[in-house]
Amino acid sequence: MKLVTPPRVSPQQFDAAMQAMAGVVGKDWVMASDADRDAYADAYAPGPQEQWPAGAAVAPASVEEVQAIVRLANEHKVPLWPVARGKNLGYGTAAPRMAGSVVLDLGRMNRILELDEKLAYCVVEPGVGFFDLYEEIQRRKLPLWMSVPGNAWGSVIGNALEHGIGYTPYGLHARNLCGIEAVLPDGDLVRTGMGAMKDNPAWHLFPMSYGPTFDLAFTQSNLGVVTKAGVWLQPAPESSLELVFDIPNAEDVSWVVDTIAPLKISGLIDQNVFIPSWLGKMVLKGQRKDFWDKPSAIPEWRVQELLKEHKLGYWQVALRLYGEEPVVKAKAEIIKAAMARNLKARAAEHWWHTGDPINAYETTMGIPSAVPLQMSDWIGGRGAHMGFSPVVPATGKHVAEQMQRSRKIIDSFDVDFYASFTIGGRFANNVNMLMFDRDQPQQIETIKQLFNALIEETAKAGYGEYRTHLGWMDRVADTFDFNQNALRRFTEKVKDALDPNGIIAPGKQGIWPSAYRDSAKEGRA
Amino acid sequence: MKHLSVVAAMALLAACSQQDQAPAAPAQAGKGPPPPPPYQMRPEAPTGNRLAGGDGKTLFEYHCGYCHLTGGMGTNLLTKQRMMAGETPEKGLLANRADLTADYVKQVVRMGKNAMPPQTRVDLTDAELDAVAIYLGRAK
Repeated sequence: MKLVTPPRVSPQQFDAAMQAMAGVVGKDWVMASDADRDAYADAYAPGPQEQWPAGAAVAPASVEEVQAIVRLANEHKVPLWPVARGKNLGYGTAAPRMAGSVVLDLGRMNRILELDEKLAYCVVEPGVGFFDLYEEIQRRKLPLWMSVPGNAWGSVIGNALEHGIGYTPYGLHARNLCGIEAVLPDGDLVRTGMGAMKDNPAWHLFPMSYGPTFDLAFTQSNLGVVTKAGVWLQPAPESSLELVFDIPNAEDVSWVVDTIAPLKISGLIDQNVFIPSWLGKMVLKGQRKDFWDKPSAIPEWRVQELLKEHKLGYWQVALRLYGEEPVVKAKAEIIKAAMARNLKARAAEHWWHTGDPINAYETTMGIPSAVPLQMSDWIGGRGAHMGFSPVVPATGKHVAEQMQRSRKIIDSFDVDFYASFTIGGRFANNVNMLMFDRDQPQQIETIKQLFNALIEETAKAGYGEYRTHLGWMDRVADTFDFNQNALRRFTEKVKDALDPNGIIAPGKQGIWPSAYRDSAKEGRA
Repeated sequence: MKHLSVVAAMALLAACSQQDQAPAAPAQAGKGPPPPPPYQMRPEAPTGNRLAGGDGKTLFEYHCGYCHLTGGMGTNLLTKQRMMAGETPEKGLLANRADLTADYVKQVVRMGKNAMPPQTRVDLTDAELDAVAIYLGRAK
């Protein structure tokens, strides 16, 4: 990809900035060739990757190097786009929101600084991936479990900062962050919470500051560069039981949510409960063309045939309990009785006890895997996906209405309906997975129009998304419209005060510093 | 064979690659696919200067092992692909391939292929990629 420089920066000025940064990190860690720009592009871009081009990438190895790079970025007016490991697949990968931004790749900062078995937490740098942390825990034989997202190739901190979700009792990953260290846009260094006191041993244990608490202000944020964080871990349970319920019909999701959500809110169920529709299972069984060989959406009669042929319910709830065996048994009886009010078929039960093997795909037991990405093969070719992900209250009524609304829109675009709901407490997170082939321009155009329609209609009904791709960050930000987008106005005031040159991640989540606000109209999908 | 499910293929592959463990019970007709494989640990992170490269096998297992060891996403997709090309399931593991050239390995790593995104020079430095390409590139 040829060089695109940031606004008001000439190629010569850009080159001077890169040379200055090479003086900090070494010339090999400034990556500014056409091939480097390709590697930092959005591999799953809906449409040409050139829509979100990085100018270059710089990879510091320490907090001090991050500070020096941030100061140089101010001096040269070259904005940075920080990524932890750059594996935010489906949301933009490592690519920046604003063209020409320099990706600040923190992948080399990959030390596990603390791993505390007694208080069940770790302190890690942004380059530490889920696989790295999992293997270190295994090597030290510590009784600790992690919570992992569907694609666990990425960074522990990066996923938490992006509000990633897992399927264990620690599944709200941003809530596991406790005590953050961040480089501010002027190069200053701050520690949140008890870490504001030098060497305070409760830094990663008490989740609030003395005074305003800023930890979450650094998530989905361009207010600083997080350089380390405490992350809470789950003490390994003595036993675990998985209850698998096949739920026959689409409309059953309503009673399923009304049955499970109260048990989740009361604490009887402690994991985030994932309710995927049948297509979630089918994508692992082959390619779409093996089951439906037309470009049009799989029709309802064929869906019903496939459910029969493959002995699948429309939904599957694989619910997992954790703890001492008598407690787990007692909880299981309560859940089974509650489900039996609407479901005749009994749950399949899979027990695990300490010492039993755990297979490589047990996401609900915190095993990291990239296998869910296999779904990109469903479409074939250069398969890619995007998720439309609104949040709704965890009641059957809200969930059913949301499903009907998105299904109607998706059907009207003749696209396959592939939904899931995750009950994370008082809310349900609805992900509508949209899969496409990057080499089929018509498919991409359809998906883009569909995405816009989903955002608009869902916002009209009163709901917003929890996360989105680069190309829709502004459109989704627009939907948060209370008092003329007061929250965005507030955040932009804070942004301008902290970052007058606007050099940290301009446009992240629709927050534009005044220095680049005129670029907000660019790069929209 | 063509419609052998990925799950079955990867479990079969897992059974093939666990010779040092207790033999898995053979899958019986009508009982569904054998269980998924256990998690395969990667080697510890190589120490030293990443710009100087290192041992190709270790670097491959550490940096590519997320997807290309037993049970990984890349292995699963390649197992299906190789079996459809009439080869045995263990050819789904890149380490078992004899038909890859070093240049091809470098190209796929940097450019990506199908479901695989391109890898940056932070993911794998040029010197590390050279070592991995020599390790995997057994075809001339």
